Amino acid sequence: MRRLFVKSQRRPKMSATLKPYLSAVRASLTAAMCLENFESQVVERHNKPEVEVKSSKELLLTPVTVSRNEKERILIESSINSIRVSIAIKQADEIEKILCKKFMRFMMQRAEHFFILRRKPIEGYDISFLITNFHTEQMYKHKLVDFVIQFMEEIDKEISEMKISLNARARIVAEEFLKNF
Amino acid sequence: MSKNTLSTDFRKVDVDELDEEKYRDDPETSEASNEADQVARREQEVKRLTQSSNNMEALKVCLEDPPVSTKDKALKERNFNVVLDVLTRFRAADVEKAVKSLSSEQVDVLMKYIYRGFASPTENSCGILLSWHDKAVTAGGLGSIVRVLTDRKSV
Repeated sequence: MRRLFVKSQRRPKMSATLKPYLSAVRASLTAAMCLENFESQVVERHNKPEVEVKSSKELLLTPVTVSRNEKERILIESSINSIRVSIAIKQADEIEKILCKKFMRFMMQRAEHFFILRRKPIEGYDISFLITNFHTEQMYKHKLVDFVIQFMEEIDKEISEMKISLNARARIVAEEFLKNF
Repeated sequence: MSKNTLSTDFRKVDVDELDEEKYRDDPETSEASNEADQVARREQEVKRLTQSSNNMEALKVCLEDPPVSTKDKALKERNFNVVLDVLTRFRAADVEKAVKSLSSEQVDVLMKYIYRGFASPTENSCGILLSWHDKAVTAGGLGSIVRVLTDRKSV
């Protein structure tokens, strides 16, 4: 009961900064996602995401960060034919850290089903997306932005739910175990 | 003609460097002393205005002539701290009015400072920066974000 009370008290404060955070991310992503086809200047008949290969400075834009606090932030690196979006997720304690790590690993192993997911996060962040001009040609741009925003919303919820069920399970296990004594 | 040589140094020559069409950033003009003066002057001016709690005027002073041509990181940092201090002095309710009174160039500069602030988040700056961002987007549209992304001159 006490746990529930504490949680309900905390929630309004959390969502107070969540909404402006997400709207700032949405605006930045929409502005950054202006991609066009661009073939490699180095290798003929190759087409590489310039944000990854960084072959020339003139093809890259200034990377921008949007942060909600020190821990939760998002980095948007853009280039002529691709953008890379990296998200750092809130991790309040050890359990959340390990849950986040395992969950992200689970998804990144299945990166091909997510189309825009990068197989490895860039350093300092928990998960990265790589969106190229081919993705924006095949999919609606606003839906892509919506997907990233929804992902950010869901992931917090998911991790706190997993944490609660993990704690509940641990409690039952401990009870069962201690019955013997 | 084909004389074997053991020297492999030629392999390390970066031939792309010699390409005439290779893109180079514009050489930055070095008016460091001038900019240092400017930052110091601004610091005092802002201090005077904030003491008389004239935040609006302080904001306008902040957004004039940002030190974009210097390469001195410390100078930029010092300038940014002055600006951030002014930005955090505003209450969330006053932000909208403040942004409305700015010209579109000033909104662009403000946007640069906002993203600079996001890049080095501190405990109490993020919340107010988010509301600055929201209002600046309303005033300047996505164009002001695109100008931050494409501009090589950082604040």
